[in-house]
Amino acid sequence: MWRYIARRLLQTIPVVLGSTLLIYAMVFLQPGDPIVALFGEKPVSEATRAQLMAQYNLDQPFIVQWLLFLKGALVGDFGIAYSGQPVSELIARALPVTFQLAVMALIFEAVLGVVAGFYAGLRRGKIFDSTMLVVSLIVIAVPIFVLGFMMQLVFGIQLQWVPATVGSNTSFTNMILPALVLGLVSFAYVLRLTRTSVIENLTADHVRTARAHGVPDGMVNRRHVLRNSMIPVVTFLGADLGALMAGAVVTEGIFNINGIGNLAYQAILRGENPTVVSVVTVMVIIYVVTSLLVDLLYAVLDPRIRYA
Amino acid sequence: MPETTSLPGQTHFVAPSSETPLQATGMVDTSAPPEGQWKEAWKVLRRNWLFWVSAILLLFILVVVCFPGLFTGVDPRQSMLSKSLQGPQSGHPFGFDKQGYDVYSRVVYGARASVVVGLLTTVIVTVIGLFTGAVAGFFGRWVDALVSRIADIFFAIPLLLAAIVGLSALNNVWPDRGYWGGVLAVVFALAAFGWPQVTRIARGAVLEIRGLEFVDASRAIGASKWRNLFSHIIPNSLAPVIVTATVSLGVYIVAEATLSFLGIGLPPSIVSWGNDIAAAQSQVRSGDNLHVLFAPAGALAVTVLSFMLLGDAVRDALDPKARK
Repeated sequence: MWRYIARRLLQTIPVVLGSTLLIYAMVFLQPGDPIVALFGEKPVSEATRAQLMAQYNLDQPFIVQWLLFLKGALVGDFGIAYSGQPVSELIARALPVTFQLAVMALIFEAVLGVVAGFYAGLRRGKIFDSTMLVVSLIVIAVPIFVLGFMMQLVFGIQLQWVPATVGSNTSFTNMILPALVLGLVSFAYVLRLTRTSVIENLTADHVRTARAHGVPDGMVNRRHVLRNSMIPVVTFLGADLGALMAGAVVTEGIFNINGIGNLAYQAILRGENPTVVSVVTVMVIIYVVTSLLVDLLYAVLDPRIRYA
Repeated sequence: MPETTSLPGQTHFVAPSSETPLQATGMVDTSAPPEGQWKEAWKVLRRNWLFWVSAILLLFILVVVCFPGLFTGVDPRQSMLSKSLQGPQSGHPFGFDKQGYDVYSRVVYGARASVVVGLLTTVIVTVIGLFTGAVAGFFGRWVDALVSRIADIFFAIPLLLAAIVGLSALNNVWPDRGYWGGVLAVVFALAAFGWPQVTRIARGAVLEIRGLEFVDASRAIGASKWRNLFSHIIPNSLAPVIVTATVSLGVYIVAEATLSFLGIGLPPSIVSWGNDIAAAQSQVRSGDNLHVLFAPAGALAVTVLSFMLLGDAVRDALDPKARK
């Protein structure tokens, strides 16, 4: 087990290095003058230009710029954004907001997805099952920004149950609607995954044995069918936390939430290169860590799996 | 009739083997060649009504993509400002948007950009993914480690963020790129970060096939490594890759719409469902004029749904374990 963890951790090193280099190259290896992005069309004196080039390491060769960035990132120092604030401060302000949003979405999709998928699987082919399958197909096929926009229109503007936009007040009630929208697509996947898994387990030998022993139906379904169906679902949910945080760009845009997705998106539009590479680096690290945790979780949940 | 004998104490009889259906094994024509998995799958597929519904819908959408002029005589870029935001009327079944464009005509002409992005991205991603995955799974050792780590590098960057960064980079190095240039830029940005998913699936499938006996047999009679790879291993591990490709086609169409919605996908001059949905958001603020939003969004949803249903049907047909 420990050898497996050590090997996985070693494998993540080239991945993190490679991803940051890749994103760094896409952002910085572009024609055009980065100082123009900073000053717009205003004239810049030679002295200011030289000082800024040195401050952002732009006078160094590309690879050295990247290495300097990595050196800072190791200790949580992502440099200074063109707006003058430290990038780590911008991220520290945006990350908790997105984390809250993603966790709320995760709870929503886990609870509703598992419950609906469980009952749909138990009553396969009945009206509830068919309805849920149609709902999940629609949710996956219609782009999330159309669904989000429609929900904002109905619940936020016409019924006025919740505020239409969130802004700086990220209280629980304000975040309910965005979290629902963010978790909607994953809800459909959790539902289908649970349903398939439950149907598979219903015909398993150990379930038949339990029934033959006279264990009440409800207990068989909860203790034996549901619990054994949770393995693929839990691993999906674990991997989904990172995906939700990265996919929050659209939801945060619709509901005007100042999270990490919005920060990255605005930075890309404005050519705020240090912020872009830093946010993507944070996202990559979140992805790498969650996928490692999911693999370990898999072994804990399913004793048949042993990592050598 | 053969005589039945009974032993002392025997209460029931077992029919002699000449009277049981076991004899029917001899009726099978062993000289006929066995049917391949594709023919077998097609037999299952053609009995599935979902397959026919989605296939006919997709065929229809393909005709719209190739010949939009057959379905509308109205120019999607002809602005009739006097009719701005008017509802459905004779000759204009979906009404007009804010710019006075005919919504129906834009839905018809918008199909091309959206579907071409989905198709091209899927083809590129599948070819790269299949090749890299097959090589990694087949050769193993350091080749596998190298290919897998490179795939991980591209996979670790979230697709949407990566595509946004990639497109903004492309905007700088390749401005003013016209219709097909605009479409290709989105294809490149999505394909550049989409292939590792196929690599992983192809690698897993190849690893499974590589260990089977017929591959050993082929090697034993002297087939070269590359011949083994291309004529035995890749054809036999195609099934999961094709299923993923069909489903991800829909995903890439949605991704294009999302990028256009964020204002960084296709340039606004290109008529596409994503651009029209994005433009519709500001026109529907108050809850009126819903036709402007529903027409392109509905067309996109039906297309994506068709690809997903087709993927489901193909998976059921190709996976003998899923058959009931």
